[in-house]
Amino acid sequence: MTMDLIASPQLLFSALVLGAGYALVGLGLNLVYGTMRLLNVGHGDLVMLGAYVAFWCFALTGLPPPLAAPLAAALGVLLAEALHRGLLHRLLGAGAERIEANSLLVFFGLSIIVQNLAALAFTASPRALRTLDDVVHVAGVAMTESRIVILLVALAVCGGVLIGLRATVWGLAIKAVIDNGRAAAVVGVDVPRVRRLALWAGFAIAGLAGALLAMVEQIGPFMGFPYTIAAFVVIILGGLGRLGGGVVAGLLLGFVQVYGVALTAPTFSSMLLYGTFVAVLLLRPQGLARAARIRS
Amino acid sequence: MTPRAGIAAGAALALAGAVPWLVGPYGLTIALNAAMWVALTVSWSILGGTAAYISLGHVAFYGLGAYVVVTSWQVLPLVVAVPLGGLVAGAFALTIGWPVLRVRGPYFVILTLGIAELVKYAVLNVEAALGASSRLLFGVPDNRTLYLATLGLAVLAIIVAALVRRSRLGAGLVAVREDEVTAETIGVPIGRYKVFAFALSAVIPGMVGGLMALRSAYFEPLQVFNPVISFTIVTMAVVGGAADARGPILGALLLVVVSELLWANAPQGYMIALGVLLIGFVVFAPGGITGALARPRP
Repeated sequence: MTMDLIASPQLLFSALVLGAGYALVGLGLNLVYGTMRLLNVGHGDLVMLGAYVAFWCFALTGLPPPLAAPLAAALGVLLAEALHRGLLHRLLGAGAERIEANSLLVFFGLSIIVQNLAALAFTASPRALRTLDDVVHVAGVAMTESRIVILLVALAVCGGVLIGLRATVWGLAIKAVIDNGRAAAVVGVDVPRVRRLALWAGFAIAGLAGALLAMVEQIGPFMGFPYTIAAFVVIILGGLGRLGGGVVAGLLLGFVQVYGVALTAPTFSSMLLYGTFVAVLLLRPQGLARAARIRS
Repeated sequence: MTPRAGIAAGAALALAGAVPWLVGPYGLTIALNAAMWVALTVSWSILGGTAAYISLGHVAFYGLGAYVVVTSWQVLPLVVAVPLGGLVAGAFALTIGWPVLRVRGPYFVILTLGIAELVKYAVLNVEAALGASSRLLFGVPDNRTLYLATLGLAVLAIIVAALVRRSRLGAGLVAVREDEVTAETIGVPIGRYKVFAFALSAVIPGMVGGLMALRSAYFEPLQVFNPVISFTIVTMAVVGGAADARGPILGALLLVVVSELLWANAPQGYMIALGVLLIGFVVFAPGGITGALARPRP
């Protein structure tokens, strides 16, 4: 019976969807951390805000979440810019190690503030979207439309960013800043502008991911933290600035969680996520620091 | 300690001990909160203040202590159960300490946060398997007794933290904060020191957790392992200034006042205030209040 379960294409599909979502969320954090060394523990809260954008767009105007996703991304850009002007220029003046340590506590504070503002504005009770839940059968696998959309959009965005980083001037500049900010500045890359662009992109991707995930997750002010943890697993496992590695790591985490739950019980879902996170950090105790140091 | 400071400390202690006979039930709950947060924050600073290893997972120790007291309720007498909760928390810290404390800087911070969540969900699963989603405790000690016990723990935490700061261990931990690699190079046994301090900083929070489970007479894993507790500890320490021995006490007392002003009417407002204070101090006064007072700006 267990073998049937493991071999079931249904489970494979679930793991792919979850993993693609994680890869997308992790991609955003990778851009932000890679270029600015900002450990944004509030990254998951951007996912939460994106989910609320999708919820309210649908509840008020009937706009389906995939169409609300660009709005959620735009909100991400706005927040990135506000943050950049308000706080980050102060933090970014210090050296890399200081930035990491300070940014963590600052973002943790921001995360708490955003979560509680959301709880004040939208109440703490979770909500759910019921849309695009028609079932489509593809090769004998029952898929809801929403999950197909999540999988396709997540893969398209990850693929698009991956290609954009190799094929455009801005993309190459971002890669250069991730690899070595000082050297990038020497060869004429406008580092502050590139960082800002990466911050915009990272926040936008997180908001977009939230709007998509709103179709399958419970929406609540405190839903973000598991995504923050997943994003850290993705970038620590996948490697700093290695977006391809991040996609693989995201999928891997999705598989661990979906197959782990299938073999045990749904209540183990959170333990699998946090357990993977703890295991990844214990196996790579230097986190991203060594990778960053070797490159810079 | 100078004679004058000694007298002041003695007077403060006498006053704190007399609180149950001086104030009403509401005043007593505030005093209990103050004693609890001082005990937690000062214990946290044994590693967090000296070595600047910022644990965002101290709620795990608090929760484990509470869990020990709750599961041994009416099996073990409380004078055994509460210290046992502290020992279990300390033993847990000792066990995870070796691998966990190899992780440095900001990664240590998020790792501890992840571990606390992992412990929370582990306990939730155990409770679900036992068929106990929440537990009620009947016949718990009254608030006066709990306050005096918690005050005792707060005083104990202050004494232990002061002794650590004066010892070779404390000097080694400060060296770790200043430059861990150099400290290791000149022969400071940083591994042993960090693990020992981590375990030491977990014992009293374990006991405090046990007492607080008795206070609420109710046990629910999501409440006892709430990461907000860890966040509050860190904010109190940062606001007071964790590098100074008095900082955590000052920060805890100050935020208990803020909490009383806001918590009842606006719990979310209190959390937002904590977030604003944390950011404000990290960005503008990283040494906290004590740091800002000790080194006035030029």
